[in-house]
Amino acid sequence: MPTPDQAGPTDRSREGGSGESGGTDAAASASAIDVDGLELTYADGTVAVHGIDMTVPEGEFFGFLGPNGAGKTTTIKVFATLLSPTDGTVRINGFDVQSDSRKVRESIGYMAQETSIDPELTATENIRFACEAYGVPRDARSERVDELLDLVDLADVADKRAEEFSGGMKKRLDAATALVHRPPLVFLDEPTTGLDPKARNRLWEYFRRINDLGTTIFLTTQYLEEADQLCDRLAVILDGDIVADGSPSELKREVGGEVLDVELEGGSAVSERAATIAREFDAFADASVAETDEGISVTAETAREHGTDLLVALRDAEITVTGFNIRAPTLDDVFLAITGEELDVDDAEGAQ
Amino acid sequence: MSAPEADDPSRSTRPNARSGNTFAGDAWVNFKRWNLKAVRNPFVLVVSLVQPIIFLVLFTEVFGNVAGSAVNQGLPGISYETYLVPAIAIQVALAAAITSGVGLVNDIENGMFEKVLVTPMSRTAVFVGKTAAEVFRIAVQIAIILGLGVLLGADIVTGVAGAAGIVAVGILFSLWFVAFSNAVAIITRDQESTIISANLLQFPLLFLSSAFLPLEALPGWIQAFARVNPVTYGVDAARSLMVDQDVMTVIEVSWFGGTLDGVAPGVAVLIGIDLALGAVAVTLLSRASSSDVK
Repeated sequence: MPTPDQAGPTDRSREGGSGESGGTDAAASASAIDVDGLELTYADGTVAVHGIDMTVPEGEFFGFLGPNGAGKTTTIKVFATLLSPTDGTVRINGFDVQSDSRKVRESIGYMAQETSIDPELTATENIRFACEAYGVPRDARSERVDELLDLVDLADVADKRAEEFSGGMKKRLDAATALVHRPPLVFLDEPTTGLDPKARNRLWEYFRRINDLGTTIFLTTQYLEEADQLCDRLAVILDGDIVADGSPSELKREVGGEVLDVELEGGSAVSERAATIAREFDAFADASVAETDEGISVTAETAREHGTDLLVALRDAEITVTGFNIRAPTLDDVFLAITGEELDVDDAEGAQ
Repeated sequence: MSAPEADDPSRSTRPNARSGNTFAGDAWVNFKRWNLKAVRNPFVLVVSLVQPIIFLVLFTEVFGNVAGSAVNQGLPGISYETYLVPAIAIQVALAAAITSGVGLVNDIENGMFEKVLVTPMSRTAVFVGKTAAEVFRIAVQIAIILGLGVLLGADIVTGVAGAAGIVAVGILFSLWFVAFSNAVAIITRDQESTIISANLLQFPLLFLSSAFLPLEALPGWIQAFARVNPVTYGVDAARSLMVDQDVMTVIEVSWFGGTLDGVAPGVAVLIGIDLALGAVAVTLLSRASSSDVK
């Protein structure tokens, strides 16, 4: 929680976040996360993060989206004081991560990508240890432990050792231990990677509940669907740079209209011919056309109005249309539009 | 289910509500955790005692008659049981100290190491608490060995005070090996490597020392090695307390006259080794837990 004297320096002009908080006083407008020119270079010369700027206001559910190796975990580790920035400043809850790291640690919860619990201890003991480590007052501990066991639905296995738990249960226990001190800001590093859809949906529900209670959440994910479902605002990171940011719907709007998927009979030669027709189609001046496995995918402002005209044109060119669908763009389309490549997610479970 | 209204009041007071932020408080939290883990995992506790107990029983039964006469040339009237028990106490300290590094590797592997680093606890206090728990366990184990030795016929000439002194020497001895096993743990970050490298050292250190036989009964090259072997200093100091005589074999001093002349040089040497290896381990630990990019 920032003290008033720290609110001043953080009040720099920045595009994100300043819009909504304009009318409130200085303390309330302080951001949970304020990053200016963060760079991180590993000792072997690998540049993991190339000078990023971002601001996350208090109470937001913020998503940090990107493929494996894009710099998500490196960034979140800098925010959690586990790595020192090579250059730039990072203020978390108003505290500088380098000069005030202990105050940062007191005011955040951090859930690492790998589940981090002590398997030899019971669920209760794990949470109790976290309570003691974060200095939860003695008389509040028992209540806090019970409350968190309830929150993550582990009350009936409270006295079982964590080594007996399933992957999803361990993750939930890990999440509970990150919340013992009721931090105003929680970092979740790919919290659902490797979980089955049911366990994942359950975790989503807990994160929403925590966010509803006023906690700022910073979540990294490689699942577009997860970011779309949970986040108020997103930043897309690629090779250490933020390449896009905004609300999920803003980002989808950036794709430029709606998407018309057309399924065609015949091989890639047919798709290629159809793509050429779509590109030259007068009604879609600004269309972007991609060939897909089944046929073509056309993104255009006027896809809904003039979609049927394109289908007629394709029929006139003696191309057989076997199916079509007009839809709002997904974050997959966003990613494709930004990076020009499919987000490579090995998601057996991501597809639900 | 936690209701929103239950959350809000404490949220505003939270940063001031931290109660365990003293150094001692942080150390205590970690001391408790590692003791709890030790009790939870009695296997480790028992296994690190079993081998020394086997040594104690087998050596006294098998070698007792032969070794006893070698012992009696230098120390008339001392039974082999009495001669051996201080050495076994040192062996326990050695075996138990290995588990310190193993615990650290496990913490690194299951993520608890990093999890502790993001808490506001003092990092020094975290390791002080962990080491204190291990030292506490070593003290208990040495006390068990002394009790067992007495049951088998060993005689602690200096009584309870001497027994406490032997425990203290054992702790002092264990610290350098605790530091060593932690250093190996950080370098290898692998449980098997840590156990193997520490275990490999255990037997040469024990046998190439004054632990099982008087040095004068051993070949010259062993005597030469024994002079630089920390085990010799630990065993001789503990044995001096056991038999209430100066039996320090390597360094001759006569500052006090009597038993303390056997204890003091050993203690001094052990403190020196503890500080040297402790410094190495602390350097490695602080590098492993620092936020500097690697």
